[in-house]
Amino acid sequence: MSLLALDKWAKLVTIISQNGGIFKSIYKLWRFDTLKWNGKLVGTDSLGNKYYENPYYMLGRSRWVEYNDYVRWDYDATQITPEWYGWLHYKTDRLPHEDPAKYCISCCAWYQKWMLPPEENLSGTELAYYPYSTVRQHIQVWDGKSVCSRPTPCVCK
Amino acid sequence: MLRQPLTRALALSSPSRVAPLAARRFADQVQAQPDKVEVFIDDKPVYVPPGTTVLQAAAEVGVEIPRFCYHERLAVAGNCRMCLVEVEKSPKPVAACAMPVMKGMRVKTNSDLTRKAREGVMEFLLVNHPLDCPICDQGGECDLQDQSMAFGSDRSRFTDIHFSGKRAVEDKDVGPLIKTIMTRCIHCTRCIRFASEVAGIDDLGTTGRGTDMQVGTYVEKMFLSELSGNVIDLCPVGALTSKPYSFAARPWETRRIDSVDVLDPLGSNIVVATRTNEVLRILPRTNEEINEEWLSDKSRFACDGLKRQRLVTPMVKDSRGNLTPVEWEDAIVAAARALRDCPSDKLLAVAGDLADAESLVALKDFVNRLGSENTCTEQFFPAEGSGTDLRSSYLLNTKIANVEGADFVLLIGTNVRFEAPLLNARIRKAFIHKETDVALIGPKVDLTYDYTHVGDSASLVKDLATGTSSNEILKRLESAKRPVVILGADQLKTEEGAALLAYTQELALRLQDNLQDKEWKVLNVLQRTASQVAALDIGYRPGVGAALAAGPRVVYLLGADSGIVTREALPKDAVVIYQGHHGDAGASIADIVLPGAAYTEKRATYVNAEGRAQQTLVAVTPPGLAREDWKIIRALSEVAGAGLPYDTLDEVRERLNQVSPALVAYGDVQPNNYFAQARALAKSLQKPVSGKLDVQLKQLEDYFMTDAISRASPTMAKCVQAVLKQKTAPY
Repeated sequence: MSLLALDKWAKLVTIISQNGGIFKSIYKLWRFDTLKWNGKLVGTDSLGNKYYENPYYMLGRSRWVEYNDYVRWDYDATQITPEWYGWLHYKTDRLPHEDPAKYCISCCAWYQKWMLPPEENLSGTELAYYPYSTVRQHIQVWDGKSVCSRPTPCVCK
Repeated sequence: MLRQPLTRALALSSPSRVAPLAARRFADQVQAQPDKVEVFIDDKPVYVPPGTTVLQAAAEVGVEIPRFCYHERLAVAGNCRMCLVEVEKSPKPVAACAMPVMKGMRVKTNSDLTRKAREGVMEFLLVNHPLDCPICDQGGECDLQDQSMAFGSDRSRFTDIHFSGKRAVEDKDVGPLIKTIMTRCIHCTRCIRFASEVAGIDDLGTTGRGTDMQVGTYVEKMFLSELSGNVIDLCPVGALTSKPYSFAARPWETRRIDSVDVLDPLGSNIVVATRTNEVLRILPRTNEEINEEWLSDKSRFACDGLKRQRLVTPMVKDSRGNLTPVEWEDAIVAAARALRDCPSDKLLAVAGDLADAESLVALKDFVNRLGSENTCTEQFFPAEGSGTDLRSSYLLNTKIANVEGADFVLLIGTNVRFEAPLLNARIRKAFIHKETDVALIGPKVDLTYDYTHVGDSASLVKDLATGTSSNEILKRLESAKRPVVILGADQLKTEEGAALLAYTQELALRLQDNLQDKEWKVLNVLQRTASQVAALDIGYRPGVGAALAAGPRVVYLLGADSGIVTREALPKDAVVIYQGHHGDAGASIADIVLPGAAYTEKRATYVNAEGRAQQTLVAVTPPGLAREDWKIIRALSEVAGAGLPYDTLDEVRERLNQVSPALVAYGDVQPNNYFAQARALAKSLQKPVSGKLDVQLKQLEDYFMTDAISRASPTMAKCVQAVLKQKTAPY
């Protein structure tokens, strides 16, 4: 068995079946460049991203996110919501719903008006933030109509 | 007129000043070399002709003696005393700038006595000079600062500040270009000498003496000269500074880019000082062949027009007839569609005053590829006879520098003073230093020197040419060894233009044939704009009259802003494409506007009135979406389906080289020939002429605003207002 590495092949088949068949696996591989085995779905955030865990993998690879299908290839690390950020980066082992502070922030009446919903990084898109310039323009642009005054023909002798 | 006293002053103190002229020796002018005198500068022997000053002899061996009042191109004044040096066996130190060398003279330029003398002079100058370097515009380029560092004392003995205070002088108002802070004046009198010798405006002078001495105009008066800006460069301290540039920048903050001026036909060499992508000021760059070290006021101060009325984005007329900004793609596609749909005989391209040779050749190639031959310039030139086929018929053949060597100058229908101020300065130099006489056929104008006014009738030229004139000018011309005839190109616009040119050629070549000096050229045609010579070299047809009468459907204006092409002259449905850098007459009638680069924003070739190709360099980037002109035409040709075969500037220049090697021979003037052939072809055009010659620029106020850049310049507008105001003043 081990001579033909049949266990490896068996694991590959398991991974493909766990990921929903050949086509879905290829699609996932294309999107995320990796296929994981035996991921346990631990939660979903408000943007529809799914968080998985499998302690079989080494630390640093054992927690992962599968971004919402809606964004296809335009996923970005800033689409991860703040309450999941800590768990995903191993800052804490508590899931958001196990952490009272995060739980309150996300679903209690304590939710503050001044706290804006998380927003992804919009650089490079049309919604990107540009600070307006306070420097006076040194080029004065033609308005499309006026013609420069011409000196009147000389009348004096 | 300064003529007599100056010549005397020359003979007395400064043979050096005629040296550059004497050095310009011609075949029949070889003089016996006088024996050279041996002098010792710091024990180094040097042989110089007798009459050389100590200062010049020292310069020969590379010893620079400090000076404030001495200037190579002005008369020697000898009043600042900074150039004092010790001469062996002389009881006192002598002023090196005014002292002629004597045989065996031993000069010590670095002895204790010399150093003490300099330190003393510097101390006296600084006693009467304010310590306001931190707020002075000259700071960083100030001769007094530099020399007090090098030669001044390291401590001050000035204690009178609490008793009578420092000398203070009231500031003078000499117009919108020059700012005066007269307290800083050290009385070197360079400005006074420049005004009376070079500019020919004898208004500046000194009043009072001793500590009460003041430099000024005595009564409040504007400095009414087209060369006034040069006193700013001449002033060794911060007494005369540039008003538009005041408090703008320090010299060490600016980047300086060598370039060429395009606001008059001479192509003066300039340095463009920029900072943060903004042109701050323009200074002259020495070129003995063209502008020496002077620059005319329009070229120097019109640079703020580069920041006004700019076209920064392509524009297309919308359904309501307003020009609205669009993307390059839309504008190029709209222009290409108009050009492609146009029948080739209904297509017209017009080049304006400031177009460079690269864009001219690209536009001509493009229009030719579309099947049209209609490429015209705004300025007219008669096509009869040899027309523009022979280069000698439309150039300044004598060359600017050689005009100094002329002994008789005949101006026909041109006010050189405002059409080419630095050429006029050359004529004035010849008039003062060489006894050159000047005659003018045309309206009576102030040329800053005396001239014989022959009359303003065109028939006078005919009489001179045929030799039937009884005027004594004819005799003077015929007896002259080096005559120069300058014809203003503006005169050729009229119907008699061809005949006038034919007669002028006849006159000039008849004179030229009788000269001893076979290399001397007499015939000159002074063009009005910087682009005209290059356009004619490339093969543009001068004048738009005939092409406009044919009713073009699409008109491509390449910076054509003279107002010669108007909406009224065009059919109703004609599409006007304007490519240029300023919103002016051309852009205001356009349907499609393509923003180009001004002369400070592109590397481009311009050919001046003598036929000398020179190039401008990129000093700042074109504003907004504006692009270099030839690139716009190249892109447009691709979309219009007639792609031009060049993609880089070098390839465009290779194309220019194919058209005429003179267009890329930078800095050189090719010798012009075929005068006789042009004359023979013009023979049949010698018809009677009866009109009067008139010039466009008569007075100083006409001079300042003549093209798209200077019309957009607030400084130039202020100049016009100030001159008009001065006209109403009692003095």
